[in-house]
Amino acid sequence: MPKVTIDGHEMEVAPGTTILQACLSRGHEIPHYCYHDGLSIAGNCRMCLVDVEKQPKLVIGCYTPVADGMVVHTENEKVKKARAAMMEFFLINHPLDCPICDQAGECRLQEYAVEHGTGVSRYTEPKLALAKAVDIGAHVTLDQERCIQCSRCIRFCDEITKTGELGFFQRGERSQIGIFPGKRLDNPYSGNVVDLCPVGALTLKEFRFQTRVWYLRNTSTICAGCARGCNVVVGVGQQQTMMTTSGQIDDRIKRIVPRVNTEVNDWWICDEGRLTYLREQGSRRLVTSVVSGSAATYDAAVAKAAELLAAAGKAGTLGAIVSPRLVSEDVFAWKTALDALGGGPIHVHELTRGEDDDLLIRADKGANSTGAAWIAGKGKAPVAAKTLLVLGDTLDAADNPGVPAGTEIVYVGPFVMGASREAAVAIPSASWSEAGGTFVNFQGRAQRVRRCHLPVGEARPSWRIALDVLAAAGAVAPAWSSEDDVLAALAAKVPEFSGITTESLGLLGVPARGTVGA
Amino acid sequence: MPAERILTRNVGRPDSTALASYEANGGYQALRKAVGSMTPDGLTEEVKKSGLRGRGGAGFPTGLKWSFMPKEVDPKRPHYFLINADESEPGTFKDRLLMEKDPHLVLEGTLLGAYAIRASVAYIYIRGEFVHATQVLERAIEEAVAKRYAGKNILGGAWSCELVVHRGAGAYICGEETALMSSLEGDRGYPRLKPPFPAASGVWKCPTTINNVETVANVPFIVERGADWFQSVGKAPKNTGPKLYCLSGHVRRPGVYEAPLGLPMKELIHELGGGMLHADRPLKAVIPGGSSVPVLRADECDVDLDFDSLMAKGTMLGSAGIMVMDASTCMVAAMARIAHFYYHESCGQCTPCREGCGWLERILNRIEGGKGLQQDLDLLLSISDNIMGNTICALGDAAAMPTISFVKKFRDEFQHHVDHKSCLTGTLALQGVR
Repeated sequence: MPKVTIDGHEMEVAPGTTILQACLSRGHEIPHYCYHDGLSIAGNCRMCLVDVEKQPKLVIGCYTPVADGMVVHTENEKVKKARAAMMEFFLINHPLDCPICDQAGECRLQEYAVEHGTGVSRYTEPKLALAKAVDIGAHVTLDQERCIQCSRCIRFCDEITKTGELGFFQRGERSQIGIFPGKRLDNPYSGNVVDLCPVGALTLKEFRFQTRVWYLRNTSTICAGCARGCNVVVGVGQQQTMMTTSGQIDDRIKRIVPRVNTEVNDWWICDEGRLTYLREQGSRRLVTSVVSGSAATYDAAVAKAAELLAAAGKAGTLGAIVSPRLVSEDVFAWKTALDALGGGPIHVHELTRGEDDDLLIRADKGANSTGAAWIAGKGKAPVAAKTLLVLGDTLDAADNPGVPAGTEIVYVGPFVMGASREAAVAIPSASWSEAGGTFVNFQGRAQRVRRCHLPVGEARPSWRIALDVLAAAGAVAPAWSSEDDVLAALAAKVPEFSGITTESLGLLGVPARGTVGA
Repeated sequence: MPAERILTRNVGRPDSTALASYEANGGYQALRKAVGSMTPDGLTEEVKKSGLRGRGGAGFPTGLKWSFMPKEVDPKRPHYFLINADESEPGTFKDRLLMEKDPHLVLEGTLLGAYAIRASVAYIYIRGEFVHATQVLERAIEEAVAKRYAGKNILGGAWSCELVVHRGAGAYICGEETALMSSLEGDRGYPRLKPPFPAASGVWKCPTTINNVETVANVPFIVERGADWFQSVGKAPKNTGPKLYCLSGHVRRPGVYEAPLGLPMKELIHELGGGMLHADRPLKAVIPGGSSVPVLRADECDVDLDFDSLMAKGTMLGSAGIMVMDASTCMVAAMARIAHFYYHESCGQCTPCREGCGWLERILNRIEGGKGLQQDLDLLLSISDNIMGNTICALGDAAAMPTISFVKKFRDEFQHHVDHKSCLTGTLALQGVR
């Protein structure tokens, strides 16, 4: 292993490691724009110039592999001068329109200008005036003035989606990122270019002008869009709405961005997953309980549900349909409840659309199909059931399970849709982003879903409703007070989950036992 | 006594582009000799011994460059020989002469290089504007293929080498060797990060060697007459062989002149070039190697035109584009024009060059237009210093080097522009000559 000295620290690194990576491995970031772990190396931004002893010129840290005996300086005067020079070059034609730029607050130009710039520009010439707000695709807007030409977006479309919509046009100072004639940036992963863009040149239409990023409360969780289970960060608006005097906090999801997990989604997410929150926000939420078509108190609805389920359980006419988007804790709690009430077939509803692609997207839209099936078993559709518990979380009418006319329905779910409309009892439950739990993705990887914001209306986690129904039916309900408790019971009961704890899941999840040797 | 014309021996002969004419003057004998009696490595060794250095600008030893190529050809990774005929450096027009007037010499040199590096295809990447040269070369290739000098089973032997002329689309940057490769592959002409160097991974990721037109034109003579002869021309051991000098500017007879490396600049200007254009306007400055290299003041012009002599003067032989400027020249205007070229030709890939070249140009235009500020002079130096050495290829340096030298060596003229919003009193530019 090559031994290298970086800023006086001697370290051993694997052969082929670049100076930039070696620095990162000890927590020291060399400033960079064009370099990205998930893309090929362009080496053109020149921000990561470092000084290697015995080299006549500064070298770029992103491309230069460490060699045995190499002595690198990343913070000496020569390097600092070059960095300040690069910052000055980056900014001479940059519009500095931070006050109206969505990137402000998480902009590498801002960050590095503060850290490595001189604070003043010697540029007194007119700045280049280029196109603003260019519509280049369904979700992405381009500001050519803000672009620093790092080429990350181009490389993403060339190397990851292999769709090649973007390119450089013109040359020199006049060179610009652009879309090839006749093309649109409409590939299913287009939003990633916005995350990749280190500045505010590429912005997401759905996020533009929605909030300043420093008002976001960010939560690391798992996308519920399909069985991939991409690791994401959900940003929830915390800004007090200015149009009202109520002082209410927005508390709605403003955006979803990918979180690196090389076992699952690398650095990316698909556009559909990125925008799931919009579909949810656009759907009618069930906010109060309903009994026989009229609003009811939660307690009344729970009592009614308990009555109907217990009676059917006793009569052997009970069945259940479970959404594959429900967290494992919810499925387990309801399975526990149903067993106590006499049992019946539990069917995990299948949600499939389209086909698997060769990047991330899965045809199976059930974020927890695997986990739900491990808990509930592979029950057939309960067509014979006279009373049906529908644990719904489905959005599209087409995704809704067909229920024979005349079936008595107890619906527990977040949305007013499908089965909820004809339900004898409907109880609102928290949506995916409003409660915590565990998803198991198609690989059998268990991952932690975290609560990003409070449930709307009277909605509450589905597993809590299961406990309340059990208690109302006069059965002994387990003494679970958090989803961690449910997970502990689940891990003790269902072998595939054994050993899994909230702690073991961490931020990146773990392969569940059910996948060992699979 | 004028030196023997070697590289230009056919220039001016009747029908000089025709194969028959070339053969009649001993053409393709070197190729016959090499293919018949020399191994590729033997040829490379001979070129190494000759001391031939690249004529494109950097002066890298040619034989050494060839020796970096793998000694055996992996059938999956054929060797490519590239000829850089994208002659675009301002003040340079020697390769064009060779291609237009003696295409078979260029082809024979190309074939010899290809043989030495075991290439099966040689591309001549030619500047798009050279339409006539392209036509001449293409006709010459047809003739050469017909007589088995090129193409399949050259001279009846086992070695085959296809010759292809590829026209550029009008970008100076495509004369940079790795940008040329990108362009040849059909991509934007962006210079590539090194390593890998072309011999390891060049065009289409295959082992590649790239040489300038004039460089390979020397090779037939090295083969024919031997490395020792080559060493006897010019200034042994490191500045050997004949050289084409492109003389332009304020001289009476601008043009391409051949002389052994090490020709005194004064001799080029005053004897070959016929002296200054106007007898009453003395020499002010000379750019000795194309617009990218540092300028020399008149008092620095007592120098031999070869790689090392010019290096010792802090400048470069470059592409041997010698641009002569007399007392009427406004150095601010000249520099602004040069800066405009690099601003226009920067590929835009690296930040310092992309942003810096435009910045330099704007400042220089401002100073020239009488709107210069006192801080501009040091700013020009600082921007140039910030570009220098900080980019993937040398285009940034090519913009910075002349700027630094012009401002440092002719600071009084720049200062005068700032102070008086006009040219230095006494330059003829003031009197409307420019």
